[in-house]
Amino acid sequence: MSGRVLVTGGSGYFGSVLVDQARDRGDQVRIFDLAPPTPRDGVEFVAGDVRDRDALRAACEGVDVVFHNVAQVPLAKDRSLFHSVNVVGTANLLVAARDAGVTKVVHTSSSAVFGIPAANPVREDSPRRPLEDYGRAKLEAELLCEEAVAAGQDVTIIRPRTIMGHGRLGIMAVLFEFVADGAPVFLLGSGANRYQFVHADDLADACLRAGTRPGPSVYDIGAAEFGTMRETLQALVEHADTGSRVRSLPVAPARVAMRGLARLGLAPFAPYHWLLYSESLWFDVRHAEEELGWTPRHSNPAMLIEAYDWFLTHRAELADSGGSHHQSPARLGLLRVLKRLP
Amino acid sequence: MPGVGPDAAPSPVVVVTGGAGWLGQNLVRNLARTRTRVRCLVRSGDEAAVLENVASSVEAVAGDVRDPAAADRLFDGVSRPTVFHAAGVIHPEHGTREFFDVNVGGTQLVLDRARRAETTRFVHVSSNSPFGANPTRTDRFTEDSPYHPYLGYGQSKYEAELLVQRSHDRGDLATVIIRPPWFYGPYQPARQTRFFAAVRRGRFPIPGPGTNRRSLVYTGNLVDGLLRAEVAAAAPGRAYWIADAEPVELRTVLATVRSALQAEGLSVSSRQPHLPASAAAFAATVDRLLQGQGRYVQALHVLGELRDTIACDITRARAELGYEPAIGLLEGMRTSIRWCRQHGAHL
Repeated sequence: MSGRVLVTGGSGYFGSVLVDQARDRGDQVRIFDLAPPTPRDGVEFVAGDVRDRDALRAACEGVDVVFHNVAQVPLAKDRSLFHSVNVVGTANLLVAARDAGVTKVVHTSSSAVFGIPAANPVREDSPRRPLEDYGRAKLEAELLCEEAVAAGQDVTIIRPRTIMGHGRLGIMAVLFEFVADGAPVFLLGSGANRYQFVHADDLADACLRAGTRPGPSVYDIGAAEFGTMRETLQALVEHADTGSRVRSLPVAPARVAMRGLARLGLAPFAPYHWLLYSESLWFDVRHAEEELGWTPRHSNPAMLIEAYDWFLTHRAELADSGGSHHQSPARLGLLRVLKRLP
Repeated sequence: MPGVGPDAAPSPVVVVTGGAGWLGQNLVRNLARTRTRVRCLVRSGDEAAVLENVASSVEAVAGDVRDPAAADRLFDGVSRPTVFHAAGVIHPEHGTREFFDVNVGGTQLVLDRARRAETTRFVHVSSNSPFGANPTRTDRFTEDSPYHPYLGYGQSKYEAELLVQRSHDRGDLATVIIRPPWFYGPYQPARQTRFFAAVRRGRFPIPGPGTNRRSLVYTGNLVDGLLRAEVAAAAPGRAYWIADAEPVELRTVLATVRSALQAEGLSVSSRQPHLPASAAAFAATVDRLLQGQGRYVQALHVLGELRDTIACDITRARAELGYEPAIGLLEGMRTSIRWCRQHGAHL
């Protein structure tokens, strides 16, 4: 099925994967983003900010389905930006889509709305108890979607686990730097927490399927094959074969150190990272499998290795690259010291 | 005075000032379902988007109630609406001048534009503050109680009531004054979340024994009262207290909040700290001195008022408006706590 689709945040890391898939299946794609995308044939670009209502209204004209991916990610660490972009931006988008007669909005949310879940697996109706400002803003945006649904709009919420795949950098670049240089990679705690990623391709597939299914719904999206954080990292260092080894840091002091370094601007961490990377959080993805006929194809280790290999190939160019938080490497800062450890 | 005449029909077009405020958000969500146009005044474009998402009937105008141009935009293209004037400042950020600019000046401006738009009924949200505190712990304010404004806020809300009443007496508008006491309910501001968190941790102090009584009003009950004021035949030119059924002792308010937190599955400290009554008296004195200098400190003001009995009698609203508070304190507090948790608030 093809149609006219708008991808907000279409120049970002996940957005560009979604744009490619939509275009490949025959959609007429329009991107709404602050920054221009990599040029592609047959893809229209509208420059704009989701905080600008009028720009969004214009972008929604003549569109059937909107995929809303604009967000300030945890690395932004700016509460007022989380509110103005993630909450108000979503309200602006929902109103613009409604007024333009868009038939479906697919809103990309986050597993951060769950905080540290009381029980796993997490399902679509598990209690949402975000722990930090990013998660709270994403929850507020979900509530706006629910309010729009109550008023008769067709809005589906997609909650991805940590997105992975070729080209994914951001906080992951810190890990990849360490592995590539044979430095030890650190786990928060034993690494026995089960941590699920989702491949950008699998997520884009779920979004597109959700976009063609009439009626509002909610889907939790993650990999089918995943293990503990330690197993995932172990698979990566074995693949890399650089002499890098997986080591544990005690959780409590490590959290304090991460918070301290982040406050001083010496390391690229946000509360999301030190609160959640050592915790188990995985989705039961049956709802998406059953209702969308969707199947995740990438396992945790495979997608981390893919992202790492991409990083290796492009490492030289990355130093002076632009792009969004997730398309550019986070800066190591004082973490360089850790790299020198035996 | 039932028997004065049948209810008027609710207007399909309404104007709400303070649309994104605590009361406004509850009122607009109710009106959005039943009216064709709900024109709201909000302070910012951010608030406008969130409110317009409620329903396509909602049209939000971003602007300041002190600004004549904003008032013009608010009433642009609107004819014969009901106006709910809920904009007001209770805890000013820039000193006591704001009370008068917003609560008095803003009311004058909205009254004027409402008259020009041939408003069919003007429902004005006032306060207990023009009446100060009850002289005894068993006294309740009625609509016949004398004005005795308490500090800057009370004085400004008093002056606003006079403007509204004059507008009615002059034949400009069919006005109704609604006086709600202490609110609670969904869409609460951050200060109320902090209140819940402090009570939960046993950190919210009562000055003295806490046997002074307070009337409260659940926002849902208050919305019911406002909607009755819009249509009741006896209402024009009158004022009404709109509150929960009975006032309760302050210590009971706090005990009920603890019960509500517990009933929502939260662990709650059973500790209830008390301050000497003189602490509140001292706070009130300092608050008065500062307000005399045009300055406002929220914590002092709140503490100063905690010693008072502020209780009202809703007999007239029951009789003339057919108002009946549907939600009680425990249930309303539980709903508020659920709302906080749904919105990710850390209580």
